[in-house]
Amino acid sequence: MNIIALFVSPLIALIAGMFFLGLSRKISARIQWRYGPPIYQPVIDVIRSFSQKSITHGKFFDFGIILSLSSSFVLILFLPIGKLCALTSGGLIAFLYLMLMGPFGIALSGAAAANPNSSIGISRKFLLALAYEVPLLLVLLTVMTHYHTISLVEIVNIQANSGWAFGSWALILPGIAYLLILPAILGMRPFEVVGAAQEISSGPIAEFGGKHLAFYTLQHALHVFVGIALFVDIFLGGWTFFGLLNPLAGTVWAVIFGIIIFLLKMTLVLFIGLFVNAVYPRFRIEQAMQYLWKWPTLISFVGLIIVVLTK
Amino acid sequence: MSLELLLIIAFSGAFLTYLSGKISSQLRDGVAVLISLGLVAIVSFLYNVQTETVFYQGFFGISLILRMNSLAWFFAIAIVSFTALCIIYSLSYMKDCERSNYYYFMMLLINASMLTIVLAGDLVTFFVAWEIMSWSTFLLISYNRNGALQAGIKYIVLSLIGSMCMLVGILSIYTSFGTVNIADVANHLTPSSVGYKLFLLIIFSITFGIKNAIMPLHTWLPDAYAESPSPFSAVLSGMLTRMGVFGFLLIMYVIVGMKTTLHLGRGFLSFNTILCWLGAITIVIPTFIAMLQNDAKKLLAWHGIGQGGYMIVGIAFGTSLGAAGGIFHTLNHATYIVLLFLSVGAIEYSTNGLRDLNSLGGLFKKMPIAFFGGLLGISGLIGVPLTNGFVSKWLIYKTLILGNAPFLAFAALLGTWGTVLSVYKFLHNLFLGQLPEEHKEIKKAPLTMQIPIVILSFTIILFGILPGLPLKVINSIIVAAGFQALDINIWGVTSETGTLNMLNIFAAIAVFGAIFWGIFKVARKSTPVDQYDNYAAGAAVPKNKYHYTVEYYAPFYRMGKPFLKDIFDMFYNRIAEAIGSICDSVRKIYTGYVGSYVMYIVLFIASLIFVQLTWSIF
Amino acid sequence: MDRNQIGKWLKNPGKMANKYSFHVVYFCTGCGIIEVPPSITTRWDAERFGIIPVATPRQANLFLITGYVSTKTLAAIIRTYEQMPEPKYTVAFGSCPINGGMYYDSYNTITSLDKYIPVDGYIAGCMPRPEAIFIGVTHLWKLIDMDKADGYKRYREDYVHYRANQEQILGELDWPPLFSKENL
Repeated sequence: MNIIALFVSPLIALIAGMFFLGLSRKISARIQWRYGPPIYQPVIDVIRSFSQKSITHGKFFDFGIILSLSSSFVLILFLPIGKLCALTSGGLIAFLYLMLMGPFGIALSGAAAANPNSSIGISRKFLLALAYEVPLLLVLLTVMTHYHTISLVEIVNIQANSGWAFGSWALILPGIAYLLILPAILGMRPFEVVGAAQEISSGPIAEFGGKHLAFYTLQHALHVFVGIALFVDIFLGGWTFFGLLNPLAGTVWAVIFGIIIFLLKMTLVLFIGLFVNAVYPRFRIEQAMQYLWKWPTLISFVGLIIVVLTK
Repeated sequence: MSLELLLIIAFSGAFLTYLSGKISSQLRDGVAVLISLGLVAIVSFLYNVQTETVFYQGFFGISLILRMNSLAWFFAIAIVSFTALCIIYSLSYMKDCERSNYYYFMMLLINASMLTIVLAGDLVTFFVAWEIMSWSTFLLISYNRNGALQAGIKYIVLSLIGSMCMLVGILSIYTSFGTVNIADVANHLTPSSVGYKLFLLIIFSITFGIKNAIMPLHTWLPDAYAESPSPFSAVLSGMLTRMGVFGFLLIMYVIVGMKTTLHLGRGFLSFNTILCWLGAITIVIPTFIAMLQNDAKKLLAWHGIGQGGYMIVGIAFGTSLGAAGGIFHTLNHATYIVLLFLSVGAIEYSTNGLRDLNSLGGLFKKMPIAFFGGLLGISGLIGVPLTNGFVSKWLIYKTLILGNAPFLAFAALLGTWGTVLSVYKFLHNLFLGQLPEEHKEIKKAPLTMQIPIVILSFTIILFGILPGLPLKVINSIIVAAGFQALDINIWGVTSETGTLNMLNIFAAIAVFGAIFWGIFKVARKSTPVDQYDNYAAGAAVPKNKYHYTVEYYAPFYRMGKPFLKDIFDMFYNRIAEAIGSICDSVRKIYTGYVGSYVMYIVLFIASLIFVQLTWSIF
Repeated sequence: MDRNQIGKWLKNPGKMANKYSFHVVYFCTGCGIIEVPPSITTRWDAERFGIIPVATPRQANLFLITGYVSTKTLAAIIRTYEQMPEPKYTVAFGSCPINGGMYYDSYNTITSLDKYIPVDGYIAGCMPRPEAIFIGVTHLWKLIDMDKADGYKRYREDYVHYRANQEQILGELDWPPLFSKENL
């Protein structure tokens, strides 16, 4: 099972991530009363980028983006996709740290380019990350304390027995807080301060072209996938769906349908994010930080206190 | 190899170095390196040795003892190795400096005294070595004079307060039990009252808290780190400050005993909980203050304080995972902070003493070795997987989360995310970004500076992928302290509540890295371009007109600056000023005129007569 | 549109992807830029052909010059064009880049853009409507199919000539030549 997951889960994540990128463009277009690009447009973009002759600002410029993409793939191995989970060592803490490595690689690469816009973008990225990590850490700690485990797989399995975390009274507040910071994690509006195309010419990736851009697009697709998948795993019970898969338990079909249910849940969450993304303007970075340190933090903090007191 | 011989070599080596420096500087360099490497060799031969020797009998009837066990060996090998690396590094760093004899002498003396501290089997030896260490440190901190002198005085004042506390503790132990032998004291202390144990813990905690820079006692550290010569900053941050951790381990787990320490007090108001919270505060606040720093070494210094908090939290939380994490973090922190200070030192060397984050940049093409040192150093500091910092932090987080202390865990995790910001600023402003025109032709760091950087970088990765190597020794330390043994493998830690296997994380990253590196190579070759061939809306990127690393986190500075002040430092300075002015006014009594002294005498006698007439006391 | 023909994709994926993923740098010179917002937003929706504006030339493959080019702007245009990765296409929009248009005798406006950077296609008119942009794009597709959109190759081959023209009008250029002898 683990061996299969090792090969299958990166593929699923990549395909689903690219599909989500395409879907988000299509949905945004439809909300804006446009026809929109075909849903496989991101794939065309990646192929186009690969066929172009990029520039490089030295070996480290290349190293950063390779590090970013490969660590994003490693991250996928730690994520339970349906019932597939290739690696479990280290649990959610290792997962959190690996989540850091993707943006970190891009930051190294972007800074090696010596572009002023990149530097501004990276500084915004880290500030935004600090802003949303505060509520995110509180949320994850609440979940880990409530279930008394640091393993993602176990969190999903407990929910299979006792119902979704989002539906339980103890974890509803952290769930709401996660939903509030989800656009910031995905870099969507109103938190699109990092790659602000109009003012800092797409920020950290201002100097990325050709294969560097292709790698970045793949990394971005995986990042979107991970941000949503983490929510689904922790709060919406991963592959579980009200005992629907119980008759199939133990068969291959359970795994396959588990993945399908998982992806459907992810699509649902993505839609919520897209509706916000399509209609909101952008925060300034200070406003974003103040917002993230106010409401989501407060909600998740109250959630943590409730969980600690009732334990 | 007896322990006395080790110390004799260490101390006489220091004097020998000084004397040979009078003859020629080459000879002195050779002797210093030889002595420091020799100590590494001797200490590594003492692995797994458990001995105890009385080396002096008649010190006021107290026998002075040296002893070797796993705790002592662990710290001893770390001390001698890091000092040896820093001595090798100093060869070219201190080449053109005056008073270099004195520098090497002090360096080796500090090495020897730290060695004595960890080997001490009784409290008197411990105290004497502690004092030698404190005073020689003061002399080296103020090596550069000017601002350094101020930093040194700040250090020595706080250090003396600490030493006096320890002296009170030792005297009280001696008067109560009549012995200063650590093992005997531990036996005598078991039946004594809770209040006395608490008194000892608190009074020793002040000493070690000052040395380890726990939050309200940290103020000496940033200036001291920033002002000393870089190789010594490395030793200072890597090992010397961590003598505080050794002290905490000694007093909490050896003298008072693990089981007693963890049950002093009730609920929140217990000794170890309060220490944990002090550690948590020490993690969070300095990390955010570090973000505001513009001096590379000061930034690292604030991180030195912050990382010290992790060790304290790990040790004070008092589970086998936590204690192992805390001790392991001491070693890891030493590796990467030494590496970072050496990298900054290399930049200082190449740019003639520049370490201002606002005026450097783009050095990664000019100084690749120092850059990779810096990169791995900050990765360790953050705790990026595959570096050793990750393993120890993982151990600490896990024990905090599963030990139902989510708020402590939150403080620890938040500290890490603050660290990411400030150390990225460090890396970016020194090595990445635009290379200023005046640094286009800088001299490369020589080989003796590169070797220690390479060795330390390698160590970070090695302990990150195979954490079992040091954890085996640490396991024996925590077992000796009375904890449950951990299930250690070469690649990590096994347990029912979550296994850590660094080897499979490494394999995954290596495989994916290889795949994408391959794809990257196969795809169309990219054209290398100059740093000025950069998109700036069709205009040219200005050369040296402006520097975009200045105010790197400007929005955060605007928000955070009013709140992120070192209140304690200001408070201590107020006290110092107040004492200064009181002493100043006392001095005014001595006017120098005979008349006024006569007046004092007359006034004194008059008051005596007045007292006698009114109350008739005498 | 042959976007959905798998056979063509398998035969030459790079060329097909280049056709259907135009990431455009709009160089907002002159009055032509007013026609661009409607073409990329709801009314005409260029994104259905995969055409979207990007912020930096590094990520782009189509360069759209919308209107007259003053000599000062020309420096920025050349710099931006040289920063685009190959393969790259240039489309000049309106009559001014073709022959100067109404600025044919202006002292600070160039009359023929093709002398300074290679132009793959022109969209004539003063101003052309957004529909004309799409017709221009379909023509560019045909040119790409026939390998006739080879402006970037011409630039490489005749770089000395182009550089001389650029220096003639701009004086000494403050950036080094894009192609030296080694990377030609």
